[in-house]
Amino acid sequence: MPDKATSKTSPTKTKHPDKSRRKFLSLLPFGIFAGMAGAVAAAAFRFLRPATIARQEAKWLDVAPISELKSDKPILRTVLAERHDGWATTLEEQQIFILPKQNNQALSAVCPHEGCNVSWRDETNGFFCACHDSSFAADGARLNGPSPRGLDPLASREQDGVLQVQHQSFINNTEERIPRA
Amino acid sequence: MTEKLESDEKQDDGGRGWLARWTRLPEVERALFDERPVGLSAWARTTAGIVCMLIALQVVTGVLLAFYYVSSGESAHTTVAYIEKVLPAGSWIRALHHTGSQWLTVFLILHLAQMFWRASYRRRPVAWMATILLLALVLAGGATGYSLPWDARAFFGTRVAEGIAGGLPLVGNATRQWLLGGTEVSTLTLSRFYALHVFITPALILLVIAARLFVFREADSLKTNDVTDASWQRAQLTRQACAAGLVFLALALCAMKFPAPLGPVASEAAPGYLPRPGAQFLWLFQMLKYLPGSIASTIAMMLPGLIFISLASLPIIEARRFRKSAVYPARKASIVLFALGCAFIVAMTVIAYVGDARDPHVREQLARQAADEAAFRAEPFAPQRTGANETLTTPPVTSGSPAAKQPVSQDSPPASYTAQCANCHGTHGQGVKPFPKLLGVSAKPRRTFDDIIGLLNNPVAYNIEPPMKSFATKLTDEEKREIAEWVVILKKK
Repeated sequence: MPDKATSKTSPTKTKHPDKSRRKFLSLLPFGIFAGMAGAVAAAAFRFLRPATIARQEAKWLDVAPISELKSDKPILRTVLAERHDGWATTLEEQQIFILPKQNNQALSAVCPHEGCNVSWRDETNGFFCACHDSSFAADGARLNGPSPRGLDPLASREQDGVLQVQHQSFINNTEERIPRA
Repeated sequence: MTEKLESDEKQDDGGRGWLARWTRLPEVERALFDERPVGLSAWARTTAGIVCMLIALQVVTGVLLAFYYVSSGESAHTTVAYIEKVLPAGSWIRALHHTGSQWLTVFLILHLAQMFWRASYRRRPVAWMATILLLALVLAGGATGYSLPWDARAFFGTRVAEGIAGGLPLVGNATRQWLLGGTEVSTLTLSRFYALHVFITPALILLVIAARLFVFREADSLKTNDVTDASWQRAQLTRQACAAGLVFLALALCAMKFPAPLGPVASEAAPGYLPRPGAQFLWLFQMLKYLPGSIASTIAMMLPGLIFISLASLPIIEARRFRKSAVYPARKASIVLFALGCAFIVAMTVIAYVGDARDPHVREQLARQAADEAAFRAEPFAPQRTGANETLTTPPVTSGSPAAKQPVSQDSPPASYTAQCANCHGTHGQGVKPFPKLLGVSAKPRRTFDDIIGLLNNPVAYNIEPPMKSFATKLTDEEKREIAEWVVILKKK
């Protein structure tokens, strides 16, 4: 044991040039292996790094002619939103609520808690998420339950008599609204 | 004695001593070496280290590619293009995997030649057979991997593999269908090749390596306790590492310079596409040219098997008890045979290359294909379109008056189309890879309404090759008109 300690601390280089050469030669293979592994690992790191999508303006999607949107209650509609899906671009049906009583404000139907779809309940005059019992007011504000924030509003506008929205999805379970893309 | 040796090791070699104490690597090393050559001979034996490095590299790069690759006819080509064009380092990793597999074949053959030269198969028959098995498995890995990018090269390569498998005597047709997963090359074929390439072949390769290192004991293992042996092993490890490192460096630079080939998707291949196999199979491909079709496939299937079996049986036919018999093949005879075999393979490969370069038509076609591949590589990545409403051209706008009704709509193909054509050309003409889409086909020359009816009756007259067949008798004239009327309105999206 003490042998080992001395050999570690004493500078062998100056004492025995032959020994230091041997030591270098015995370490050389490990150096080469480390070099090869390092090169591949660096490439693997870049290759596997999570994809970041260049942020772009969300498209305006047609919902329905304004004239059709007449009701006391929020209206459930589906829009086809385009999404980057790795090596594909995919069209997904997204549910949104239109609030005719609030100047056709659009809300995402996705519960901000864990991402289930909320539904409208006449009894409570509000939105309810059946997954974990979060409830929201008629304007989407948070009332009760585990959801950290109210329903997510979406940008909407009127174009040639048609209501349009910009669909967006937000990160789940945060108080602040953080867009995903 | 042993104690003294251990304390010696503690003093001299940090890394090695540690390995000796805590791992079984020295045992593995002992299993690998049967003699202690020096000089050139010691360097020649570094083929072992190079082969190990290349196998490890195939495993690592293969696993990395599997993070993105999808083995379906619909998506395979897009995912490979995504790896090539979008992902950082993707092209390099794929080139390492592609080129590495060919280098692995070369170094395994060099390794075999080196073992043969030292007549090591006499002392270490298990090692010899394991290496031959490895070579066979590496070739199998190359053959199955060739299909995975699902471009024209891959598609036609799969067709050739299909034909060759069909050439097996008696079980040919069954083998062919089991390989394809049906009667035709389809997405099922691709997933079969994928499973064979990604699970079966590597598992067998690792099994052979593990068995060779840990299961079989060779009779004349060396005594490894003397000091000169330890220092020789140390030096040999350094040689192995240097050789492997140099080959890795060369491969890494080569992979940077030459990306792995990827052409446009098979369905867009120009007519008259000339498939060419990977370099390690060129000799077999060339041989098929000289043999009549009926027996060529059989021979192509049997010959490699025969070569492998005769190589593997070398230790047995040279075993002592046979040496007394009159028909004992002298070592000289096996040297001549081995050399002839190698020369034959090299010659066939060279002839294949020279032949392609000499024939002006072939040269032109190959140049055109290379240009197509280069053009495809230069194109930006086009994401695949997926999702619930893939075939929808416009979102359902409900504003204003309903659009004027068209007599024929792109969204409603005639029933005869759905019954006869949709299997290959897609439910809405979008094409089922590798078969061509029909969207926008009327923009091409000779694809008017009348042309399409003519084409349905006689595809050959329109330079269309099988599997597109004549529908002259399979459709009524009314159905043909219906289909042509619909196909000409299909627009590109």
